[in-house]
Amino acid sequence: MPPALQNPFLLWLVLSVALAVLCYFGVRKELRLRGTLYGAFILACLVAMWPPYEKDDKPGKIHLGLDLKGGIHLVLQVVTDDALNATIDDAVSTARAQATAKGIAFAGAKRVDASSFVVEGVEPARVKDVRDILKDFFRSPEWDVHEQGDGRFLVKMTDSFVNQVRDRTVKEAIRTLERRVNQLGVAEPVIAQHGAKNDQILVQLPGVTDVEQAKRVISTTAQLSLKLVEDSAGTRESLLDKTQGKVPDNMDVVQGQGREAGQPEFYLVRKEAVITGRDLKNARAGVDPQTNAPDVQFTLNPGGAEKFKRETGRNIGRRLAIILDGSVASAPNINSQIGAEGVITGRFTAQEADELAKILRAGALPATLKYLQELTVGASLGRDSIRQGVIAAGMGMAFLAVFMLLYYRLSGLNAIIALSANILILLGCMAYFGATLTLPGIAGIILTVGVGVDTNVLVFERIREELRNGKTVKAAINNGFDRVWITILDTHATALIAAAFLFQFGTGPVKGFAVTLVMGLIANIFASYFVSRFIFEWVLGKRQAATLSI
Amino acid sequence: MEFLKNPSYDFLGKTKILLAVSTALILSGVAYISSHGLHYGVEFSGGTQLIARFQSRPEVDKVRSAVDSVTKGSTIQTYDDPSKNQVLIRLPHTGGTEGDLSGSAQAVLQALKDKYGENPVVESSTEIVGPVVGAELRRKALQLTVWGLLFQLIYIAFRFGGAVWGFAATVAVFHDVLITLGLLDIFGFEITLNVIAALLTLVGYSVNDTIVIFDRVRENLKHRRKEPLAKIINDSVNQTLSRTVISSGTTFLTVLGLYLFGGEVLRGFGFTMVVGIIIGTYSTIYIAAPIVVWWDQYRKRQRTPTARAAL
Repeated sequence: MPPALQNPFLLWLVLSVALAVLCYFGVRKELRLRGTLYGAFILACLVAMWPPYEKDDKPGKIHLGLDLKGGIHLVLQVVTDDALNATIDDAVSTARAQATAKGIAFAGAKRVDASSFVVEGVEPARVKDVRDILKDFFRSPEWDVHEQGDGRFLVKMTDSFVNQVRDRTVKEAIRTLERRVNQLGVAEPVIAQHGAKNDQILVQLPGVTDVEQAKRVISTTAQLSLKLVEDSAGTRESLLDKTQGKVPDNMDVVQGQGREAGQPEFYLVRKEAVITGRDLKNARAGVDPQTNAPDVQFTLNPGGAEKFKRETGRNIGRRLAIILDGSVASAPNINSQIGAEGVITGRFTAQEADELAKILRAGALPATLKYLQELTVGASLGRDSIRQGVIAAGMGMAFLAVFMLLYYRLSGLNAIIALSANILILLGCMAYFGATLTLPGIAGIILTVGVGVDTNVLVFERIREELRNGKTVKAAINNGFDRVWITILDTHATALIAAAFLFQFGTGPVKGFAVTLVMGLIANIFASYFVSRFIFEWVLGKRQAATLSI
Repeated sequence: MEFLKNPSYDFLGKTKILLAVSTALILSGVAYISSHGLHYGVEFSGGTQLIARFQSRPEVDKVRSAVDSVTKGSTIQTYDDPSKNQVLIRLPHTGGTEGDLSGSAQAVLQALKDKYGENPVVESSTEIVGPVVGAELRRKALQLTVWGLLFQLIYIAFRFGGAVWGFAATVAVFHDVLITLGLLDIFGFEITLNVIAALLTLVGYSVNDTIVIFDRVRENLKHRRKEPLAKIINDSVNQTLSRTVISSGTTFLTVLGLYLFGGEVLRGFGFTMVVGIIIGTYSTIYIAAPIVVWWDQYRKRQRTPTARAAL
């Protein structure tokens, strides 16, 4: 195949133009446009789905679900109360610090529940000051301050703020999980918010079967280490050129962001870290005063500070790789000796810097995760399912084809063409929209075929009836299609309603079933009604055929 | 080729007998379910299910003794075709915490390795569902089915210009789902997500079949207003009979293929559809159509004889 035709769009364009030329010469004038449009659409679907399955290391265009490919499906509950508790604890210490700064003493400030705290035992003379402090620091719409008399204040998070914190916690957890799952090198992982209250996370790792390893990676804390860089290069090969392709014993190769966004860079770093996350005392998001770029500023504990000072002093001018969860975030030059405080620079947005600071501080996810559901499918068990599903589907279709040919003769051939177009369109749309084929999805395809045949049967039986009533072939075909249109619309609409509710199941195989069913129903109207009608008109229309093979 | 040329059977004449049959089927199904309970699949009941493929034909007794060393009361059975060397192990509820879901599955695999090492497990699939998820899913499945039905009812009532059409189609669907559920339970099938998907498809199929005939009734009503509705409906059933037989027949055979050759996972799905297509086709003629006729007769007795036009 010429290289230009490797591009699917160009390939489609060439095929469609060829088709248009064919239509121009081979089809009557009034059918030319329709023929070209229908054909071009079916060709687009063919190009979109080809090759459907993995062959010669080229990935297939149809995404297979976990049940067919094998892999892991996890549902995790984010205990968002953890994050609320932390917010309240922060608030309590703020309140206490502010009061102490103004020389106010009160008997207690403590958490009541996950979303409120009380300040108690304020001297009557200082009630106004405390009120001012609380009103100043805990404003609406995030907080409500209730004065309850006797020097007691109740400070509550508003419902909207509670929801906001919960939502943010789940999203933070998702981002952290994404970073960790990336280390597993899984193709097409799914990590998404899930559940009726949106406080669950769905993790799907196709192709992974070691649950324990996956769970270990998911539940480790963020790993930070700073290591000295020996060398860096755009590819692993060129990096290892000088060492004859071998990684020296005391070195590691770590991948990371290059100087250009999107370009990977490989770093040869010393195995031994200068400092690690354990040496960290605190971290917070900041802004580089020179470039205004967001960064993360950190403080080291005394032991870490001493080590860091010694190593940076010895290695001025060299680069230091900041490695986060196994990937280099940035590798700045050491410009001078650094003591207890340092800065992590990288290509961060303000939000990412903030999040990184949080992870480093907490050393973990923003909240505890609980496992609600776990599903693993062995790869060969999945392959078995595909094989059986395809056999069942193939047998069903072969049977239908034979029956339609016997029962409706040449019109049966029309139905077979329509059915083939139906399946092509279904698979093409699935590939184009990246929908996932599951085992029930294969059943959905078989059902689509069944519904497609039903459409053809409805039309054909109507045409036969019209012929019996003495109509001409042309009138019978037109009446047949016209009269059945309403029925087809109604049956498809109700089926779509059922499919739409199936879709609400949200995950996994059943959703895959609903997706194939919806796409199949729509493809069906096009193929079994419009394409089939076109074929009738094309083959029979011009010469006013006296008989119809039906 | 043509099977049925101008059929003119008296379908509605046999309504009463078949209604008795339907009632009997529903009642026996409901009685069976209420005495034995529905078998829920692991995704609905919660718990742990393991499918292990062994290197050679596993001896179920040895597998059982290995599994029993971890936890008593598991279900162990050969899974799918025996030549595949697969065993299904369903562990009882341990009541453990949700934090450590996969503990017992791992323990079972380890025990199999230790005690039945001569025939190692080559590959396994596990499904572990916490009780919260199971209960949530059960609730959701029921909710979605009811909503799906309600919306279909509204759609049909709207399209046919009368609530009785939607009501009739919906009663027919309930009839189908109840009978199918009863048969699923009697034949020992588990209610899994796939079966729920099949049940909802069956709902769509049954409604589809009903609409085809209702559409024909609507069409016939336009130019045969003076004839009794019962006759029009009976004629409509006859006019669409050949389509009904062929379409149901072909779909039936394809899902039968699914049931026979689709493997263990699709077996429940296939069974539901096989049964559902038969019942769904039958219920259009003997449940949905008579309801419309009875309603019409009832209205006539209540009011003037011309009330049918407003149906």
